[in-house]
Amino acid sequence: MKKYDSVVIGGGVLGAFVLRSLRRYDISCILLEASGDIAGGITRANTAIVYTASDNRPGSLKAEMAKRANENFHELCNDLGVRFSRCGSLMVSFGEKGDEVLRKKLIQGEENGVRGMKIISGSEAKMLQPLLSENVTTALYSPMTGTVNPWELTIAAFENAVQNGAQAKMNAKVIDIIPTDEGYEVKTENDVFFAKTVFNCAGLEADKIHSLVSNDGIRLSIDGADFIVFDKYAPKPDMIIFHETENGKGITAVPTVEGNLIVDSPPREADNSFDTTSEGLDYIIENLNKVLPELDTKRIIRSFGALRPNPHKPDGRSIHSFCIENPSPGFYSLIGIKTPGLTCADEIGKYLAGFAVEYLSAKINEDFDPVRKTGDHIGGEIICLCENITKGEIISAIKRGAKDIHGIKRRTGALMGKCQGSRCSIKIKKILEEYNETL
Amino acid sequence: MKHYDVLVIGGGIAGISAAKALDGLKVLLVEKSDRLGGILNQCLHRGFGKDMTGPEYISGILSDFPENINVALKTAVTDITPQKTATLRHENSTEEISFSELILATGCMERPTGHMLIAGSRPEGVYTAGQVQEMINIHGIIPPSPAVILGSGDIGLIVAKHLFENNVEVTIVEIKDQLGGLARNRMWLEGYDVKIMINTTVKKILGEESINGVVLTDGTHIPAKTLIAATGLIPDREILKYKNYPFEIHICGNCKEVFPMVEGVARDAERAANAAIENIRRNNDR
Ligand SMILES: Cc1cc2nc3c(=O)[nH]c(=O)nc-3n(C[C@H](O)[C@H](O)[C@H](O)COP(=O)(O)OP(=O)(O)OC[C@H]3O[C@@H](n4cnc5c(N)ncnc54)[C@H](O)[C@@H]3O)c2cc1C
Ligand SMILES: Cc1cc2nc3c(=O)[nH]c(=O)nc-3n(C[C@H](O)[C@H](O)[C@H](O)COP(=O)(O)OP(=O)(O)OC[C@H]3O[C@@H](n4cnc5c(N)ncnc54)[C@H](O)[C@@H]3O)c2cc1C
Repeated sequence: MKKYDSVVIGGGVLGAFVLRSLRRYDISCILLEASGDIAGGITRANTAIVYTASDNRPGSLKAEMAKRANENFHELCNDLGVRFSRCGSLMVSFGEKGDEVLRKKLIQGEENGVRGMKIISGSEAKMLQPLLSENVTTALYSPMTGTVNPWELTIAAFENAVQNGAQAKMNAKVIDIIPTDEGYEVKTENDVFFAKTVFNCAGLEADKIHSLVSNDGIRLSIDGADFIVFDKYAPKPDMIIFHETENGKGITAVPTVEGNLIVDSPPREADNSFDTTSEGLDYIIENLNKVLPELDTKRIIRSFGALRPNPHKPDGRSIHSFCIENPSPGFYSLIGIKTPGLTCADEIGKYLAGFAVEYLSAKINEDFDPVRKTGDHIGGEIICLCENITKGEIISAIKRGAKDIHGIKRRTGALMGKCQGSRCSIKIKKILEEYNETL
Repeated sequence: MKHYDVLVIGGGIAGISAAKALDGLKVLLVEKSDRLGGILNQCLHRGFGKDMTGPEYISGILSDFPENINVALKTAVTDITPQKTATLRHENSTEEISFSELILATGCMERPTGHMLIAGSRPEGVYTAGQVQEMINIHGIIPPSPAVILGSGDIGLIVAKHLFENNVEVTIVEIKDQLGGLARNRMWLEGYDVKIMINTTVKKILGEESINGVVLTDGTHIPAKTLIAATGLIPDREILKYKNYPFEIHICGNCKEVFPMVEGVARDAERAANAAIENIRRNNDR
């Protein structure tokens, strides 16, 4: 049986950052991921926003983490070699009730120490973002809001963790956990790993993993959201637009680091699959008409669905704070970490590593290097014609762990252009096949 | 920095025809892929010129291609500046060049399937018509039967025929109240067992790993192992990132407008070449 100080279950953004944070100390660790690649769960489909703390209750862990995370995001992305755009945001409302929500957010944000926020009029908002509707009544401007590509961030944190000595195993679904006197036996179908501490970062399955060692009855309910994507060349707002309706959250439009615009729907029911729903897609189109009426819907290139885990107490009540549980010594569960989980991933990682350090009396790892080493860009024939991605870059992505076309997309940006892979997906599949044959 | 009288971007029929008409000038023809001919490389049906396939048509047009024209294959133009310079990305290096005249012949691309906002999963087995052409004609892969083809323009009809001849059961779904496309591409349908559904479209895709069916607007459920979107071509002028260039750009072929026939593309390219020659002559006179 292989022995580690820590096992991390799940290769989403949280698992990746927990793993990286553990390697800041002299802690031997391995990440176990059920599927063939990392960043394929909740992390692959979300709104990609780096939030300020204006949505969080003053004094809460969320507010504290979001504030620090937001301020440090630029440095984090610099270290990891990840694109980050502090594009700022406008939250826009269309009537009395919405205006009131904006004013409350301003007060809350200021109390949380968020810098630069300002309430402006609808016409001032339209001057800033000419594509906005004339019917906006009030807007809350916030310069610190930003955006990052969630899977780029996850892959970078993971690669940096591995460069610092962490281990990882794909296709390793955890099926059982047996507490022993010294720690835990973590079982996958083919292996058993022994660890003194376990970090449950299993995303949509986190409640099931948690229940293997705890009977506190915390469970997840799953809902979802839909997204549409505009091509890079569409005229678009250059700030994030949050739409506050008279009855709560509407759509959110985000100009991504790649240059696309993604637009999400409010939460809707989901049947545990990443399917899109016509209900959600129709909602987006209808409300885009109200908020950004001049956007050219002919420039839509894609839609996708997302899943969101919501944590509940056994009696059904929702848990609103980050649900971080410690059901037995050395075992830590992240259950249903939703927005701003992406923003706070590094903070959450450091927070959990802090527990491990205390529990294991671990020392600082003097050799830890926070800077991710990226390979040189390798040339070759251009395969992805939209984004000019070469064969060399694709092969390098395979060497770095891409198992299929999705993994290539997340590591190179191929297939994300205007043709959405219709001109290169077959060639990329061939390269994958050829590479696997030579192994 | 190397200077060229004319930079031609795109080595399809438009770019080739333009370059040929520029003989005598210092021309650079740049093509992203590893061969000239563009989209016709994957069109094996006899629909070009006098009953030729795409590759045959390309060979014909290249048979008298002047040797003194510089051709850069496996090279993409990634940027054009208002100062009349361009960035070329070769296989293993990049290069800046300058030019006097610019001919844009970058062709068109298919509207991606995702444009249609169909609800449901994103399984394997959903393609665009051009992808299926590439699969069958270049890689020899026949997509699994039954297939649903969305859109009945020329390309949808050509792909439908192709699949049908390869024993794939085909249903054509068209949102308008009649089939589109040129009459000659529609003719073969008569007397063949191809299901046609008009006044409707696909509302939902079913299946997890691979597609297993689609649902139409009226709720009809059609089993399908392949879904092919043939919903239109869009001119590809992405390279013109700056909205305003202080000089004339000669745009020709499918990146200007989508031409139904290759002869029209060649004629349009010659027009663009003549306009470029005219500008050069005028500047020399001055
Ligand atoms: C619609 C939506 C929008 C959001 N927008 C934002 C935003 O704009 N900004 C922001 O800050 N946050 C946002 N969030 C929150 C953020 O996306 C999440 O907090 C974060 O992605 C959660 O990551 P994770 O690592 O917990 O989960 P995941 O990414 O799901 O990772 C869990 C991993 O565990 C693996 N796994 C599961 N079971 C097992 C097992 N038994 N054994 C081994 N591995 C297992 C899974 O395969 C998966 O890879 C959003 C969330 C949603 C749903
Ligand atoms: C699927 C399909 C089927 C058709 N079938 C028929 C038919 O049966 N009969 C008929 O007469 N006509 C047909 N046509 C119409 C017409 O004949 C062709 O579209 C015509 O050949 C287009 O020529 P083109 O040079 O404009 O574009 P393309 O052939 O598309 O060539 C454009 C070239 O530019 C290159 N390029 C693009 N961007 C860059 C860049 N930045 N740097 C360098 N290179 C670049 C591309 O790689 C490509 O090779 C068909 C068209 C399509 C799309």
